[in-house]
Amino acid sequence: MRRWPYVVVTALVSAAVAVWAIPHLGDDPSTSVTYRGNDVGPALPRLSLDTVVDPMAAQVMLLAAGVALLVQVYSTAYMGDDKRYRSYAWLIVLFEIAMVAVVATDNLFVLLIGWEIMGVCSYLLIGHAWELPQARAGAAKAFLVTRIADIGLLVAIIVLGQTYGTYRISHLIDAAGQEEPRNATAIGLLLVLAVVGKSAQVPLHTWLPDAMPGPTPITALIHAATMVAAGVYLLARLLPVFETSQVAMTTLAVVAAVTMLLAALFAVAQTDLKRALAWSTVSQLALMFAALSTGNAAAGINHLVSHGAFKALLFLGCGVAMVAVGSSALSAMGGLRKSLPVTFWTMTIGFAALAGVVPTVGFFSKDGVLDALHVATDGEATLGGATAWVVLVVAVLTSGVTAVYATRLWTSTFLGAPAPAHGERRAMVGPLLLLAVACLALSVGQELHVGIGALSTLVAAVGIVAALWLRDRGWRVRFGRPLADELGLDAVFVRAAPAVTLGAARMVDAIDADGIDVYPRGGAWFAQRASWVIGAVQSARVQVYATIVAGGALLIVIGSVAAGVGS
Amino acid sequence: MPLLYPLLLSAALFGIGLYGVLARRNAVLVLVGIELMLNAVNLQLVAYDAWFAETLHTGQVLTLFVIALAAAEIGLGLAIVLAMFRATGTIDVDTVEREVEA
Amino acid sequence: MSLPEVVFLLLSAVVIASAVLAVGSRQLVHAALWLVVTLGGVAGCFVLMTAELLAWVQVLVYVGAVVVLVVFALMLTRSPTGARSAEVTANRPMAAVLGLAASLGIGATVITGFRGVRITGARPGTAESIGDALFTHWVLGFEVLSVVLLAALIAAIVLSRSGSER
Repeated sequence: MRRWPYVVVTALVSAAVAVWAIPHLGDDPSTSVTYRGNDVGPALPRLSLDTVVDPMAAQVMLLAAGVALLVQVYSTAYMGDDKRYRSYAWLIVLFEIAMVAVVATDNLFVLLIGWEIMGVCSYLLIGHAWELPQARAGAAKAFLVTRIADIGLLVAIIVLGQTYGTYRISHLIDAAGQEEPRNATAIGLLLVLAVVGKSAQVPLHTWLPDAMPGPTPITALIHAATMVAAGVYLLARLLPVFETSQVAMTTLAVVAAVTMLLAALFAVAQTDLKRALAWSTVSQLALMFAALSTGNAAAGINHLVSHGAFKALLFLGCGVAMVAVGSSALSAMGGLRKSLPVTFWTMTIGFAALAGVVPTVGFFSKDGVLDALHVATDGEATLGGATAWVVLVVAVLTSGVTAVYATRLWTSTFLGAPAPAHGERRAMVGPLLLLAVACLALSVGQELHVGIGALSTLVAAVGIVAALWLRDRGWRVRFGRPLADELGLDAVFVRAAPAVTLGAARMVDAIDADGIDVYPRGGAWFAQRASWVIGAVQSARVQVYATIVAGGALLIVIGSVAAGVGS
Repeated sequence: MPLLYPLLLSAALFGIGLYGVLARRNAVLVLVGIELMLNAVNLQLVAYDAWFAETLHTGQVLTLFVIALAAAEIGLGLAIVLAMFRATGTIDVDTVEREVEA
Repeated sequence: MSLPEVVFLLLSAVVIASAVLAVGSRQLVHAALWLVVTLGGVAGCFVLMTAELLAWVQVLVYVGAVVVLVVFALMLTRSPTGARSAEVTANRPMAAVLGLAASLGIGATVITGFRGVRITGARPGTAESIGDALFTHWVLGFEVLSVVLLAALIAAIVLSRSGSER
């Protein structure tokens, strides 16, 4: 029972966040209330504890608080016997605080600090079972790849500060709204770089599937619902600052389009449930970015919240299945609907939300994204009509592929011949129920786009049918192998980056040894020779002394005589 | 005769004596070199006196003194050499300090 | 070139040759004996410069006493005899350089100072004149010298005793 105090702490934190955020849900987005915190630090750059909570921020905060609490409850059963439970639980609390800081703060540097703390928590938590080499490797890879992208964030913050003279987000947005945003392309591209790493988009996407050796509840919290979504939130928040730059928006749209389809195809070819869900996360994040690229922040955040709910549900359910059969491979699962009934029903709702089936929230939020793209095709947005058309087509295709792999995973896990399995536990199942309810409840109040909705339902139906048909054919597909190998895109990071780093390190080492170390070594050598020479004088040999005396005396005498003669 | 003859002879003798002091291995032969140097000095003194020719005979008297002192010095020097031989068993000036340390 | 000059030149050759052999001979006792020849030659030079008393004192003290002391010392320190018994050390080149420098230095100095000066032999150093000068003008130095000799004598005895009676 030593696990429950952590749940209580997390509950208190989440309750505080909820109390703070809920009143802002109904705010008019154009007027935001600023709390006066205490200013910390001297002139630019400065830290300040000011916060701004608009409806968008409030939603994300509630998502983070809710999922964190549910994960903490779930972990009491999932990780209950773990010997490092204490650090695990405290890291979840720390993570939650960091996420809330990133979302609520008005100061870019506090945001950066929270961003980095989240990265550190992610590293520590992925590597929780550090006895496993793949856990260590995954943690390091996640940290390093996101670090590369964080350079973009740091430079973007500095450019923002220099351009607008302030590091306060609300002032930045005001300033960008009043005049023409300056340096929009540079800032936009830098921010896109930052989120490409944090939210695992192409080409920095390879760390997310390799982070799967971490505990499943952590994957649900960090790599599905919150941290990777922080990138989306950042772009949504700072949208006014760069949305006038067509270059930046097009880059974002292209990255999103490539990622969403590629990741969906990879997800289809996976043989491991957890890894497939990871690729699914990458694909859905790309959808959110696609919405943002049209300038519609609301649609992106909407899909973020709904994805947080159903992806957390799916990962937690995956955890239940993993505990039941002892592995996350699809081959080990099958026919689990008998042994895991509650999990079956809740995950069905989750997979339905993923595929975009009415009446789950996934349907509504995905349609929101598609609608935003459709609206942008008339060329009014910065994106440009042609780009928007392309992205829209890709998004529709992706929806189809999403339905395919959602169905495949659902059938492979729950239908078919039963695999040997244990039962489900109450503490693990409770959060699943709550999340399933949320998937349905969040649909209330969502906008319905009839035309888009009909199209997406049709596409989803086609995907489901296709998946079932493929299942009957035993899942034999052309291009199956390359997709399963994820097109070898990881090779850059696995081979090239270490090779380059090693080469650079060797060069630096050589420069240090030959160029810089030469001086201390030379000094030592010189001192040795000098002391040898001086030591020769003290040879303790009588003849040497006599010679020196005779030589010295001769020098003095001859010298003085010569001087006398000369003068 | 020209004054230069004895003076140059003395110069040569001095150099030879200095070589002997600095190059010889046996301590007694070092003392021999010293004797040569002293003789060179004596030659010069006598030469100057022969040229200067005063009643004081400074040069020749000083030469007497030098001879006496040289005798005293070599007596003492050889006593020291003997003591060194008794203590270390060798009078090789090159290796004697190693013997002393050992 | 008068007779004294010729004789002097011959004697110089003898002195220099024997000095070279005294410092360069490979045999210990030979070196000591060449020293005898050198000292005898110097005594001859003294005579040619009208310093008769000094020449005899030189023979008495140096050749008679000092060389005997040297030979006795060689004997008492069990120095090896025979060929290659007197080696030179590695200091040889330096010693040669210094010796040459000393000779050249002194030579240059005296040539600069006394070129063209001749010895006249106006006042020969007979026993009478030396004795006069010694006991009239140099008495103090004479007495001090006696004390020095006494001190050296006592020191030599002490040094010789301390080894065997410790």
